[in-house]
Amino acid sequence: MSKILQIASSRRTWAWPYVLFMLLFVVLPLLLVGVYAFTDIEGHFTLRNFAKFFTHSEAIQTFLYSLMIAVFNTAICLLIGYPAAYFMAAEDFKTPKVMAMLFILPMWINFLLRTVATVELFNIFGLPLGEGALLFGLCYDYLPFMIYPIYNTLQKMDTSLVEAAQDLGANRWVCFWKVIVPLSMPGVYSGIVMVFMPTVSTFAIAELLTHNNIKLFGSLIQDYITTTDLLNYGAVLSLVLLIIIGLTSFFGDNSSETEKGGMI
Amino acid sequence: MIDRYAKRNNRAERLRNNRAERLRNNRAERLRNNRAERLRNNRAERLRIKTASLKEYRLILSVLCILYSVFSFAQSNLTYTLRMAATDEVELLDNFPAVYETEKVNIRLYDGGKYEPLRYDEGRDTVDFIFAHPGEEDLTAWGDSVFCYHESDEVVWTVWRSKKEPKNRNQRVLVANGRNAFVQYLHKETGSSRSQGWIWWVFAGLLFAAGAAYACLVVLQRRKERELSSVEQETLRRKRMGKRRHYGAQLYLWLLLLVLYAPIALIAVFSFTKSKVLGNWTGFSLDLYANLFTGQADAGLNSAIWYTVVIALVAAVSSTLLGTLAAIGIYNMRARQRKVVSFLNSVPMINPDIITGISLFLLFVALGMSQGLATVCIAHVVFCTPYVVLSVLPRLSRMNPNTYEAALDLGATPAQALRMVMLPELWPGMISGFILALTLSVDDFGVTFFTKGSGGLETLSTFIYSDARKGGLTPELRPLFTIILLVMLTVLVYINIRAAKEEKK
Repeated sequence: MSKILQIASSRRTWAWPYVLFMLLFVVLPLLLVGVYAFTDIEGHFTLRNFAKFFTHSEAIQTFLYSLMIAVFNTAICLLIGYPAAYFMAAEDFKTPKVMAMLFILPMWINFLLRTVATVELFNIFGLPLGEGALLFGLCYDYLPFMIYPIYNTLQKMDTSLVEAAQDLGANRWVCFWKVIVPLSMPGVYSGIVMVFMPTVSTFAIAELLTHNNIKLFGSLIQDYITTTDLLNYGAVLSLVLLIIIGLTSFFGDNSSETEKGGMI
Repeated sequence: MIDRYAKRNNRAERLRNNRAERLRNNRAERLRNNRAERLRNNRAERLRIKTASLKEYRLILSVLCILYSVFSFAQSNLTYTLRMAATDEVELLDNFPAVYETEKVNIRLYDGGKYEPLRYDEGRDTVDFIFAHPGEEDLTAWGDSVFCYHESDEVVWTVWRSKKEPKNRNQRVLVANGRNAFVQYLHKETGSSRSQGWIWWVFAGLLFAAGAAYACLVVLQRRKERELSSVEQETLRRKRMGKRRHYGAQLYLWLLLLVLYAPIALIAVFSFTKSKVLGNWTGFSLDLYANLFTGQADAGLNSAIWYTVVIALVAAVSSTLLGTLAAIGIYNMRARQRKVVSFLNSVPMINPDIITGISLFLLFVALGMSQGLATVCIAHVVFCTPYVVLSVLPRLSRMNPNTYEAALDLGATPAQALRMVMLPELWPGMISGFILALTLSVDDFGVTFFTKGSGGLETLSTFIYSDARKGGLTPELRPLFTIILLVMLTVLVYINIRAAKEEKK
């Protein structure tokens, strides 16, 4: 009895249930993706799924296309979102918090519903649904993820540095490029990661925005994983996506440590 | 003697004179200064008034521009209207689910873009309208989107996306959308057969004009500023460097918000009409709200709302409990262990929905678990708990680490110490973690989609998805999300106002 008490009172052990839970429902499933990718339907080891991926031109093309769309979307979000975040931080609003809140509020509406409404908006304005609609919709959905971290870093930025630059004779342009932009880079990095990763893996938005005429990698994975006899091939595709995600988070990680804390 | 007297007098005189002069000079100086200041003030005042009136012009211009463009689009949408009149040819509708509608449907003409044959994908492509000429074999589809249906295996329909309109505007046509099919006459409204291309030009022209006007005004303003003295220019420049309102920046932000809110506004506005199709106004009505609250909405929607609430509550409660315990544990770990567990904690946050969903799906398949409510709940706990951990940890580092030990020394059991010492301190973090988990769970689509199984379990997200794939939203979703938006708006505004008040104190 006293031993149990002792174990319970050393608070380190209180995390054990959670660690067990995580091992079972996070680590094990991720390992299973790998296991499924290297086996066939009967469960024998095989590399045929990978061979299929590298010779499957549709999959490769969709993969590259999704990467391209994700890069474009991230760039567009950055181009639109950075000025917005900068203005929000630099402008003298009566209620700066309300302004930031207004940009967050749309995220409370289900993103699929927003996407359907966007499609309807395109219909009303007589615009064709295609690549343009896809990019617009993706940008629309993920823009707040770009604005918020940048806004956060800009707000926390030490303004005396800007003033010092001005006193030393820098004009607005130089001051912006040499002081403000480098200082806001952590926010930009985490914004890029937060936009790029969901865009690469998106699967329902593209389908709705283009009436299923454009397929992204996520939709492809969804197609294969939900088909029972192609499940293993779907696992290969997921593994490819997982690698991409891992690489992005690895490159984004060294800077975004503080940002993630800031978001919450 | 007299001489001396005179000398002294003289000196006094001089002194007096001097002083008077100095005084006079001083006064003149002050006057001059005053006048200059007043002048300067005046000028600044005038400038301020001028810029204020300039702002007014811009506002009016942009409003006019927007109004006009909306008006012209509304006009063009009215061009071709379908009158649901005849329902006598019902026999034709064998291939359609036989539901009839008696409301107006706007058909928007597709103008521009490529017209390629749609690959017919069985039961997958969802499109809105089909026009068929009864009696003819080929099905001619036009409109901005086409609905593909597949009910019978014998008949293979070829659906073309084409620009071809029915030749005779009063022709009888077959119309179908995701839910309904009917026979009717295509009716042309007279006197408004404008093409959309023309309107686009007008719209673009207006936007251009607005932009040009804005540029002119800014140039004028700059020129006014240049007339000011160098000191004034300097102060203006200084002001501009620091915090100040820039109309361009404000315009940018508001335009961005306009775009962000346009689809939401569409949903909110059309929640006040009865029409089945989003974007079709059939007069003001609160029927959708009434349906939503009296449970007369689609049965699928009702169960989806119910399931969403249940799953969110279960997931939020269990992840809050699990996450709080875990946070306390992690906080008391040694650095190395802590690093490992923190990494583990961040994995579900980094993983995109689809990966979490698929990996859990594979786990449930491998374990042979039947997927349903339980699996969805587990999946939601998986991606909610890390956020709870992260919102509790800062509270822990803020509290005095010795109080818990003190409680134990004073004879409390660990459970008592937890309840009476730790929990009151951690409460705010737990609450915010709970709310975070709740919203994450309600909002989730990707994970739910892969773990819900095929037993008919739908949350709101997956319900909307399958609905949209079928080709049309359940109308009651519109009032539902309008209400959610308004509630969130009030809550957030309230929180902000309270925070502002506390700041003032």
